[in-house]
Amino acid sequence: MSTVILTAIDKHYAGHLALSDINLTIQPGEFIVMVGPSGCGKSTLLKTIAGLESISSGRMEIAGRDVTKADPGDRGIAMVFQSYALYPHMTVAENMGFGLRMAKRPQAEIDAAVARAAKILKLEDHLGKRPKSLSGGQRQRVAIGRAITRSPEVFLFDEPLSNLDASLRTQMRVEISSLHKELGATMIYVTHDQVEAMTMADRIVILNAGKIEQVGSPLDLYANPANQFVAGFLGAPRMNFVAATVQSATADNATVTAPGLAALTLPAQGASAGDSVTVGLRPEHIRLAGGAASLPATVRLAEHLGRDTVIYADAGALRSTASEGGNGTFTVQLGHSLPINTGDAVTLGFDPVDAYLFAADGTRLSPPRKSF
Amino acid sequence: MYPNPIAPDCPAARAGYMAMVALILLLWLLPLLAVIVTATRSAQELMAGNYWGPVQQFSLIENFTAVFSQTAMLRFFLNSLLITLPSVLGVLVLSTLTGFVLSRYRFPASNLIFALFVGGNFLPAQIMMIPVRDLMVSLGLYDTIWALIIFHIAFQTGFATLFMRNFIAALPSELFQAARAEGASPAQILRHVVLPLMRPALAALAILTFTFVWNDYFWSIVLTQSDSVKPVTAGLNNLRGEWTTAWNIVAAATLFVAIPPVVMFFTMQRHFIAGLTMGAVKG
Repeated sequence: MSTVILTAIDKHYAGHLALSDINLTIQPGEFIVMVGPSGCGKSTLLKTIAGLESISSGRMEIAGRDVTKADPGDRGIAMVFQSYALYPHMTVAENMGFGLRMAKRPQAEIDAAVARAAKILKLEDHLGKRPKSLSGGQRQRVAIGRAITRSPEVFLFDEPLSNLDASLRTQMRVEISSLHKELGATMIYVTHDQVEAMTMADRIVILNAGKIEQVGSPLDLYANPANQFVAGFLGAPRMNFVAATVQSATADNATVTAPGLAALTLPAQGASAGDSVTVGLRPEHIRLAGGAASLPATVRLAEHLGRDTVIYADAGALRSTASEGGNGTFTVQLGHSLPINTGDAVTLGFDPVDAYLFAADGTRLSPPRKSF
Repeated sequence: MYPNPIAPDCPAARAGYMAMVALILLLWLLPLLAVIVTATRSAQELMAGNYWGPVQQFSLIENFTAVFSQTAMLRFFLNSLLITLPSVLGVLVLSTLTGFVLSRYRFPASNLIFALFVGGNFLPAQIMMIPVRDLMVSLGLYDTIWALIIFHIAFQTGFATLFMRNFIAALPSELFQAARAEGASPAQILRHVVLPLMRPALAALAILTFTFVWNDYFWSIVLTQSDSVKPVTAGLNNLRGEWTTAWNIVAAATLFVAIPPVVMFFTMQRHFIAGLTMGAVKG
């Protein structure tokens, strides 16, 4: 039995479609991460699952019950907010026991639930404190504790780590992942952070403009993006795209050309001669020299990150579209330190089988590849 | 930027500034000072025309004794309390409820209702003198404390609703969402989340409403007649009629009347706590 089933969810919001035909089935114990650019509807979708926002049409089921019109409190959900949303006039213990107190549970049960949550989250020493005397990480733990005490069917997280600083974020990320394993609970987690999505999710849901673009395991989405949007969204630094034209095509291959690029034969299905296509190349698939295709370039900027080096290279006539540098340069990620600097001349090379081919409508033409 | 800071290295400007502050303060406090000084003079002194000169015979105790023994001030004072306290309570309860609903719930005509509450404030209440008096007469409430209680609750709730609505609207909306997600009913949210956070607003509104109702003179004389119902403001006017020349006793009674708003201010002051919602959300 599935924990959450969303069927054909639509939400109109002030004349535009905030969510459009959302269909998603979530298995018990799954950790689902919803990602997408700002305004893609991921938080709206989470709030509709929570019942904090209504939907225009569609059906929603949690743990076998139709909750499409149910009140948030009757849905078996618990939500953790980006801003923590702790009640400032209550102690940590009172905050965590609030839901049970409102449901008029016996005090002994509330105390037991709070003690259990406090133990899991290592908050035993802070139970008598007010939220304002806690650090950001502790506050977010209290907010998670508040969710745990209600033993919900589904945990909903709305960008819970966005307000924390980088090191704390990493720590809390690991804590939430281990909490998920410990509780075995179903969790739906909204974030705009790719690292959180890639590291925490069993499955990632990629949203764009109110629509689900693709659902799948992190590595599968990374290796086999369904379309150009997913390819460009997952992966940092992002994929390089080049506008190209198909010269000739067979059932399994397409030969494409672009200004400044010699004819290139890539594995592709369903391309035909004369099509406008987009070639996609992950930054880590470009090397300095070597590879079947090579092109001379000038380094515009080099970022030395210690463990690896990212260079933004200008390949003359060959421009990348929607590049990370914003000026048609190619992003190249090299997995080691290199004495390379702005103005250096380099030769970029890549293997055509590493390149992706996307049709004009964004659909991937490259055949599926292994994610490992 | 306004106000311009006064340069500390310009003594002339600083001295001028301090002198102006002192002068305005003096002008501002002069009536109060006159009342205080007059309350300490004897009747003979005032009859002799000594209004501003040094006090010759300190008679504060005698004047206060006269207020309590020779006038009905104690009765008026009690009437005022009986009118003001229920009015304040009524206004706070009603405006908390209306403010909560209007700030957090969307329903048909919610904007219109809010506009009516706000718009009512722009109407000078005095134009309703005759209708309100007639209404109270036909309800059989004229010349009872209920006439004033009902009137003040009705007319203060408009402004109080605006005040409360804006305060509650400024509370972080995630708190309400969190409470809803935890299954709290609207009544529980009001009781357990909103009310504890509204203490500063309740205190401020209590002071404002208390002072306004306590100090009201116009409606006191429009809606009451007999001494057993009159509040202090109308009662003070009585003193003037009976004791035309006994300004020392009127002044002493005035001081007595001014005590409650001052007490009210100092008791409520401790509830003005800055940053009550600190720690609720990262802001």
